[in-house]
Amino acid sequence: MLSVSNGLKLVGLVALAALLLSFPSLAPNPFLLSVGVVIMSYAVLATAWNFVGGFTGYISLGHAAYSGLGGYATGLLIVKADVNPWLALLAGSLLVGLIAVPVGIASLRVRGASFVIVSISLVLILLLVFQSWGSFTGGSNGLRIPRPFGEDVLRPEQHERFFLLHVALLAVMLLAWWLIDRSHFGIGLKAIREDEDKAQALGVPTVTYKLVAFVLSAFFTAAGGGLYALWFGFLDPVFQFSILVGSYMVLMSLLGGIRSLLGPLLGAVIVGYAVEYFKAAYGDSQFHLVAMGLLLGVVVLFMPDGIIPALTSLVKRFRPEASSIREVTQAELVEQRRAGQAGGPPADRAAHPVAPVSEGGHR
Amino acid sequence: MSTPTIGLETTGLTKSFGGVRAVDGASVQFHHGKVNALIGPNGSGKTTFFNCVTGMIKPDAGQVAYAGRDITGRSPDKIARAGIGRSFQLCRVFPRMTVLDNVLAAKRPSRSGLLRSAHQKADVEKAREWLTRVGIEHLERSEARDISYGQQKLLELAGVLMADPETIMLDEPAGGVNPALIDRIADLVRSLNAEGRTFIVVEHNMDLVMSLSDHVVVFDRGRPICEGPPSVVKEDARVLEAYLGI
Repeated sequence: MLSVSNGLKLVGLVALAALLLSFPSLAPNPFLLSVGVVIMSYAVLATAWNFVGGFTGYISLGHAAYSGLGGYATGLLIVKADVNPWLALLAGSLLVGLIAVPVGIASLRVRGASFVIVSISLVLILLLVFQSWGSFTGGSNGLRIPRPFGEDVLRPEQHERFFLLHVALLAVMLLAWWLIDRSHFGIGLKAIREDEDKAQALGVPTVTYKLVAFVLSAFFTAAGGGLYALWFGFLDPVFQFSILVGSYMVLMSLLGGIRSLLGPLLGAVIVGYAVEYFKAAYGDSQFHLVAMGLLLGVVVLFMPDGIIPALTSLVKRFRPEASSIREVTQAELVEQRRAGQAGGPPADRAAHPVAPVSEGGHR
Repeated sequence: MSTPTIGLETTGLTKSFGGVRAVDGASVQFHHGKVNALIGPNGSGKTTFFNCVTGMIKPDAGQVAYAGRDITGRSPDKIARAGIGRSFQLCRVFPRMTVLDNVLAAKRPSRSGLLRSAHQKADVEKAREWLTRVGIEHLERSEARDISYGQQKLLELAGVLMADPETIMLDEPAGGVNPALIDRIADLVRSLNAEGRTFIVVEHNMDLVMSLSDHVVVFDRGRPICEGPPSVVKEDARVLEAYLGI
């Protein structure tokens, strides 16, 4: 049973990878290809956000701080210090991870709404700093970043390469997420999400665990921001340090399902496509914001766990049960339980024979 | 191994909330290897005392020592790692995690084992052993939010045991559960105590306290007013006054 569902998962992953890798050659025109890059960038950012949001349940609305810092760190290293673009991307992301350490120590002390507000405040501070410090950051005029590939590489080719680079970064992050999800560290993080005091009382070093997840999330978010900056070639503080970008990461993750590996990716594809569609269809009107607000409301009201868990439970409902109640009589159940008990770990059972409780108490 | 008679000990422990002294200079000694009970009227500061001892609340003054070491004001996870496990007054489990993962969350991995799979064979077997011991092993795949309150209480206990604490502090283990389950929990406490674990139990169910414990500490207005074996405490005039206001 387990191996079948694992096999299905593997087939699904391979199909997903094939779909993503073939998208550049399937895309009918460069514009759609560029939309694909934007959506993959959202997917990278949402998945990065989910390292802290999904595992620990700390909802940060200010992750644009790290994508923005990642973009600027990468860009400034290239422009001001003439560093190789790919090296700049790595160094910039590491630098942002480093900055996230004190920020995490300070902000993870508070929970719930307070944490949300602290996370927003950092974005607003950074927006002001990057706008005002024009001599260094380019201020409101923006920062132009030279393309990492030569002039001879044309637009469509650029899009294709960056699409694949985003897919590669996403793959690394999904692998890391999966590794953590199944590990002891992951169980500790999820315990924090479910009940932080309880986790701490059981001996989970919550402060360290939260901080590691937070810094990892900031690092990946910065890498996403840096890669986007290399592709787009231009940074403006208003768009980099925007509450909206951070909100998109949250919306996408919630929509897809924050407890699922692929939830943020699915959410990013849906929300990213919708945003681009509304922008293309209604131009510069703010209609896409209204639509996103409505979508967020619908998700929170009707699918609080996100699409993936909602679909999984739907599928489970139709799947035939291994042993239906109708097929087993009461007597057989008693027999089974007796046999199970005799066959279990003998030392404890013999010393303390306790029958399983099926209905232990009442509320 | 020489076991000290006194395991957990507080000296002058004090905690105020605003103008209310919830714990007021409490100096208490709990007997190592025994079942200790902490009783007292509602609002007498038992749970606050518990929370100060386990690090959930930082005391304003006083010391907490465990096995001769000062643990005052340490973080709850450090205190848990020092060998003190606890349950919560209104039982707390991880609702969206499976019963098995709830127990595995209490396993303390080595630094190098942090990223290894949480479902190592030995750990899973150990977790199943504890689930079997409390009697809910047939629920291991259920999510904790889907099982009954009584089963959640047993699950919480299995989680605490997975961490293998020397001393277990239970905050109202019999609160809100049916009489049959109370008996089961009492049996568990007795058998675990016989295996060498110390218990400190806050409880309102007097029959349970009197039948279970070796040593009873009575709290009133944030400090102990009387302590001793159940038979002595039951007759003490101060206890009767505190409970009945005579």
